[in-house]
Amino acid sequence: MTDTTEQWFAREILVHEHVLTRYLLRVWPNRDEVPDLRQDVYVRVFESAHHNRPLLPKAFLFATARHLMTDRLRRGRVIFIGTRGDLDELNVLVDELSPEHRATNIQELQRLAKAFDELPTQCRTVMWLRKVEHLSQKEAAAKLGVQEKAIEKQVSRGMRLLTTALLARTDATGLNEASGRSEGESEHG
Amino acid sequence: MDSTQIEREAADWLAKRDGGDWNEADAAGFAAWQNQSTAHRIAVIRIQTIWQKADRLQALGAGVPRGQIPPRGSWRLSPFLDRGLRSPLGPSSTDEAQPADENAVGSTAPVREARVKTLASSIRSLRVWAAVLVLGLGAAGAWYLFDYGSNAYRSAIGGIKVLSLSDGSTVTLNTNTTIHVVLSAAERRIELDRGEAFFEVAKDPLRPFIVSAAGKRIVAVGTKFSVFREAQDTRVVVTEGAVKVEELRGGVAAGPATELAAGSIAQAGSAGVLVKRGSVAEAEAYMSWRSGYISLRDTELAVAVAEFNRYNKKQLVIADPAITNLKIGGNLRAANVEAFVRVLEEGFPVRADDQGDRIVLSGKDSQH
Repeated sequence: MTDTTEQWFAREILVHEHVLTRYLLRVWPNRDEVPDLRQDVYVRVFESAHHNRPLLPKAFLFATARHLMTDRLRRGRVIFIGTRGDLDELNVLVDELSPEHRATNIQELQRLAKAFDELPTQCRTVMWLRKVEHLSQKEAAAKLGVQEKAIEKQVSRGMRLLTTALLARTDATGLNEASGRSEGESEHG
Repeated sequence: MDSTQIEREAADWLAKRDGGDWNEADAAGFAAWQNQSTAHRIAVIRIQTIWQKADRLQALGAGVPRGQIPPRGSWRLSPFLDRGLRSPLGPSSTDEAQPADENAVGSTAPVREARVKTLASSIRSLRVWAAVLVLGLGAAGAWYLFDYGSNAYRSAIGGIKVLSLSDGSTVTLNTNTTIHVVLSAAERRIELDRGEAFFEVAKDPLRPFIVSAAGKRIVAVGTKFSVFREAQDTRVVVTEGAVKVEELRGGVAAGPATELAAGSIAQAGSAGVLVKRGSVAEAEAYMSWRSGYISLRDTELAVAVAEFNRYNKKQLVIADPAITNLKIGGNLRAANVEAFVRVLEEGFPVRADDQGDRIVLSGKDSQH
């Protein structure tokens, strides 16, 4: 099985999304722009990796984020005010995460359970039927007595909410850090 | 580029595909949408990654009667959960930053179980509560004491279970698997009684990590590998580092050891050990079950069916020898045997007859 850029990206880049997001939230003056900024960082990393995979993915990710912000600054699209946004602050120490990171399996399941519990009730129910009881959307619709389209909508919503909760680990708006981070985070300044 | 809007569209596509009426036009539309921009593709990767991970929610459902959805926070009621991460009395910490070797020797608990809610763990949690009543505040210690000696771990059919050993190693049990664990000062010993397990071994040169299965002994120091036992045959796949496979007779090594480097796939039977040396990527394809997938590459239908039957109570039966050699490939959700059958029916000259507890497969033009 060859490792596609997609697989590589999911494995090497997305695992750092929460650290990246917190970093962007800390240094970028406009919090509302962070999801878009992150997306642009990803686009650059992905397209570059398509030609040439970086040896140190995490370092490359953060360097790309730094370059992107610097570019935007230079092009004058953004005005930094005050200390936030001091580009020196962008120089985080990149501790390459060890591949042994799967040791966090328990935490992962715990996080998953928590994110699942935080879903709106109807959405949570649909996720349970789909992911735990393995009902198809059609079967779930029959069981709940609703249209299939409604189930599809909940699935879409659940996908988005879980993605935000588990990848970025921010709250539903995508802008604020979710409360109750319990585990030791891997970022070191 | 509004990332929120893109994410919404990506989720809508994926949710639609997750549903029943996905047709060729949809597939083409989705492909076209993804090709419009890298941002679209990335939105898809992000959601897909999590959607796959969400398969592990299944672990929460073990032991819960079908049709019942436990209320929020149920997972937290069990006394292990929080302790699992932060017990001051625990033999080790699951903190990734902290290797646990020095704590392991003479610890009271060889294994701490991951937060998987199974019937067995529910029963055990009753015992824990009993311990809490007796010992009051010493809850954590009580649990560890209780667990000492009862070192068998099993996973249900279709279930995946993750165990964190006190030496820092992680063991992932595939469907229908039983292991025994004994950690001592001299060695770390695992007996694979049945099924398949993936081992991520914490480095400890002084204590070899030994897995025995069907008269074979697999010795590792710090590495990643899986062992699948099927009756008297054992398959060993190494994705990192190296392991040694030895044949055991009467508990001692008989004959020379076979060295397996990363990328090796070894089939060990009563006749000896056959090794295929391939790429690590190839070896990793054997680990796809860890994310709940069965990975098929030019696989004969009979083999694919046997694979699916490992994960599902609903068994597939091939009634027609004409189709046993059909070659198929792809990645399929292990638990979704119905989806597999649907794909088969759509793409191949196969007819499926769902008889409730089993699905009988035959050729399209054969009569029976």
